[in-house]
Amino acid sequence: MKKLAGLKGKGNHLCFLIIAVLLAASPLLVSSTSMIQFLGKCMCFSIVAIALDLIWGYTGMLSLGHGIYFCLGGYGMAMYLRLRDNGGQLTDFMQTGGLEELPVFWRPFQHFPLALLFIILIPTVLAGAIGFFIFRSRIKGVYFSIITQALTWAAYSLFIANSKYTGGNNGITDFSSLLGSTRGPANRGNLLTLFWVTLLALILVYMLASFLVNRKFGKLLIAIRDGENRTFFSGYCVNNYKNFIYTLSAILAAIGGALYVNFNGSITPSQMTISYSITMVIWVAVGGRGTIIGAVIGAFFINLCEYNLSSGSLADIWQYIIGIIFCVTIVFFKGGIVGIFRDQIPALLKGRGKKKEVA
Amino acid sequence: MKKRVVSGLLAVMMGLSLMTGCGAAGSGASGSDSGDTVTVGLLHSMTGSMAISEQAVLDAEKLAIKEINADGGVLGRQIEYQEEDGASDPSTFATKAEKLIDQDGISTVFGCWTSSSRKAVKSIFEDYGALLFYPVQYEGMESSENIVYTGAAPNQQIVPAIEYLVDQGYTKYFLLGSDYVFPRTANMIINAQVEAAGLEVVGEEYADMDQTDFAAIIAKIEEAQPDVIINTLNGTGNVSFFKQMSEKNYTSEDYMTMSFSIAEEEVSTIGSDILNGHMVSWNYYQTTETEKNTEFVEAYKAEYGEDRVTSDPAEAAYDAVYLWKAACEKAESFEVEDVLAAIDGGDIAYDAPEGTVTINGDNQHLAKPVRIGQVQDDGLIYEVYSTDGPVDPDPYLETYDWAVEAGIKPLE
Amino acid sequence: MALMNTLFNGLSLSSIYLLVALGLAVTFGLMGVINMAHGEFVMIGAYVTFITQEIIGGNGSVAYLLSILVAFLTTFVLGCILEKVLITRLYGRKIDSLLATWGISLILQQAARSIFGSQGVNVNAPAFLKSGLTIGGCTFAYNRIFIIGLVIVWLLTVWLLMNKTSFGAKMRATMQNRAMAQCMGINSKKIDCITFGIGSGLAGVAGCSIALLGSVDSTVGQNYIVYSFMTVVLGGVGNLIGTVIGAMIIGFSSIFVEAYQSASIARAIVLLIIIVFLQFKPKGLFVIRSRSLDEE
Repeated sequence: MKKLAGLKGKGNHLCFLIIAVLLAASPLLVSSTSMIQFLGKCMCFSIVAIALDLIWGYTGMLSLGHGIYFCLGGYGMAMYLRLRDNGGQLTDFMQTGGLEELPVFWRPFQHFPLALLFIILIPTVLAGAIGFFIFRSRIKGVYFSIITQALTWAAYSLFIANSKYTGGNNGITDFSSLLGSTRGPANRGNLLTLFWVTLLALILVYMLASFLVNRKFGKLLIAIRDGENRTFFSGYCVNNYKNFIYTLSAILAAIGGALYVNFNGSITPSQMTISYSITMVIWVAVGGRGTIIGAVIGAFFINLCEYNLSSGSLADIWQYIIGIIFCVTIVFFKGGIVGIFRDQIPALLKGRGKKKEVA
Repeated sequence: MKKRVVSGLLAVMMGLSLMTGCGAAGSGASGSDSGDTVTVGLLHSMTGSMAISEQAVLDAEKLAIKEINADGGVLGRQIEYQEEDGASDPSTFATKAEKLIDQDGISTVFGCWTSSSRKAVKSIFEDYGALLFYPVQYEGMESSENIVYTGAAPNQQIVPAIEYLVDQGYTKYFLLGSDYVFPRTANMIINAQVEAAGLEVVGEEYADMDQTDFAAIIAKIEEAQPDVIINTLNGTGNVSFFKQMSEKNYTSEDYMTMSFSIAEEEVSTIGSDILNGHMVSWNYYQTTETEKNTEFVEAYKAEYGEDRVTSDPAEAAYDAVYLWKAACEKAESFEVEDVLAAIDGGDIAYDAPEGTVTINGDNQHLAKPVRIGQVQDDGLIYEVYSTDGPVDPDPYLETYDWAVEAGIKPLE
Repeated sequence: MALMNTLFNGLSLSSIYLLVALGLAVTFGLMGVINMAHGEFVMIGAYVTFITQEIIGGNGSVAYLLSILVAFLTTFVLGCILEKVLITRLYGRKIDSLLATWGISLILQQAARSIFGSQGVNVNAPAFLKSGLTIGGCTFAYNRIFIIGLVIVWLLTVWLLMNKTSFGAKMRATMQNRAMAQCMGINSKKIDCITFGIGSGLAGVAGCSIALLGSVDSTVGQNYIVYSFMTVVLGGVGNLIGTVIGAMIIGFSSIFVEAYQSASIARAIVLLIIIVFLQFKPKGLFVIRSRSLDEE
């Protein structure tokens, strides 16, 4: 049995290797800039999906608020890029809001190292604090989901209300990527470098996540998911483990967001709405929760489908399709796409084999 | 066991890579200038919260394309269109804009409604040298080389409306808007203008985008006792606000309102009995008396149903397609560079339902007439005042002394 | 006088939140099903009001009163169908029920757009609810008074149903100890189905009231869903009195904070207050005590 589990893990890694190789080679296969940009965004989504999988699939805490961390990373990077592109001047929305000088919390983002530090630090502190209080008062299960949902809404309202600092609904726009413009054939070099760097980040995040869950630490996370009190009584300080994995997940989501704005060229609060946060959960659920590879497959699968299926008259139908996919996955295929190949298909093949034997 | 798992996952990957391949392969197939057709993009929200507003605009664009095709097309070519759904999310707009331009090879797009979606796609159109026709009135302070703004700039909607109110003797103004960029910028302009006229703004409130209860805000209005409420709420907020004003027995005689986001479509969802007598400011109404408008309204109703109404944004979107046609014909080309060069000349005009509109070569906004209207019992809006002729666009309000004095200018 | 006005506004807002949350108090509180499509049942109720008015014509009072009944029945039936098809497979999987019903809510929203168009529809207030009662410079809108009355009636009905009828006894028995209830010969599947139907039906009734106050479009339900979950959690799951008090806390605090702050800030403050409050009372104001440790 143990051997089998080991093999499964290897199958997953092999699959990820194939994905990574395909992605690495995709710039050579696909000539269109927009497709590469889009695949780049998908890789960032995959990073967020892995982050969610760590806390939901493994630890059993469904966060409906990971949009916040994604956006915090995204805004941090966007603030840096914006200030870099306009030479540290006031932005248009600050001027509209009547500000005379750059707000204090914008200033560190003039410098790249400081910006990077804050992109990591702010989600760490926020998630750490939220986690500390929520886990201390033993809020879990659906209550955790509902509270993170409310937090997301509150954060969204704050971003909208303080438009002179955050750009309100418009968010932060008008900047190019870390490496300069990535659009058009002339800037293909920039785009490809950015693409491969993001791929590297995805690989590192995947390795980190796999490393964690295949250790004793990962077993503990699963133990917390399946029986929190028993784990607690076994002498583990459950809260610390939960807080650690929640904070780590927030940091990974922020990294995903920070990379994402380089491809997207703008960041708006609509990425931190409740519905977008739930969309992120959909990626994990459809790909297969509790298997790091499932998060990656789900993020790519859903986004690629949406990219190709939501134009023209298909736009209406797409909403039905995504709704149905989601219901069916949750109700019948709990393991998602990975689960279908891991459980359902082998079971089917086995069943057939048996019937033949009987016949 | 191992083999099956691996092969299964491999199959998924093959599927995924195939889909990627399909997407990429699609790029050559629908290029813009093939044979005897030309393809344009339509990029609007068909799902999500903005679908409420953008559907009418999309319908008007399709109507114009259909009419032009029936009339022989542009430069002898039939127009085909590709629709993309922006899903009310600026990032989706950005992704889809890039898909249209780069992957599908379409260089002219009619699209967007919200400022946030326009801002999200602006740099994409600039970087690729593509052309966007943006059909909605907005807050100004922008003029991109690659965007033609066919809706009103602030000086073609907001400023004349306030001037009219000042002339009518209203002295105490209450500014109410949804919490996003258009109302905030509009109110900044209005504050400066009202102050310059020596009058008073007695309150400024912002409702949440999806606010449903306006009791607290109405209480603030009651306390401030304004003569007139300058209303920049968006769609659903308007419905709640006016319904809840009417349940307190308030009519336009108690509190007059001047709205910048209520067109015929909104009147029908709020109810004409509630809105009766309230004022709005636009460039076009369904009742506007021009020959062209009679045809437009007839065609629109014939296409989409007797109960549909035309509105300013729909008309501006309709104009956009005809203006593009005129620009292409002058340039004798569909290439964006040539079309932009033709627009630069400043004489691309179209005899629109609202009257003749001309693209200003410097800032790519339209010179258009301004009309103040009043809602009547029958759910339509009737003109009570209009400017003598078209007003030249001034997106940065550079020609208004009070605006320059108040420091309303773009920084970059 | 201003205070009077504020208090009435607070009461009115509380009653609206309570009306939406009442259905959730049944489905979430009693059955433990997180129905994210609850908001869409509210939307269906609002659209049913519109259709009833269109069919009967005019803005007659009869049409509106009738529409309350029709809306209840429609959403009741739809709720029963949803329970039979989907929810019944998800008992004991709370988080999964949340996600699956989110999928349902996407489908219902799109269905509304396909059927009624993306533009909202207009529901006229019936003649007897059109204006307001003015007492000494303070106007109390009739429809808000009506909604307060309506919520009291439904609250009493639900309470009576749960506590004074044999069906209510069976329902509580099933929810408290399913295995034991089944041993006593209670058809728990039927009870589940009807209970979920009642919860959904209450959402439909809420939709009728909301149609009077604002826009009726495909996104109307989304505006209420978070607050109504917070109401139920704040009050303590499985407790009607708790839900009432939860709704009043949220309603009054929203109105009071908004009197001094902009609406967006007010919302953020109210949500944060609730979250901080839940730090001290993680299971809400009124907790049903239980010795079970692993209870969710």
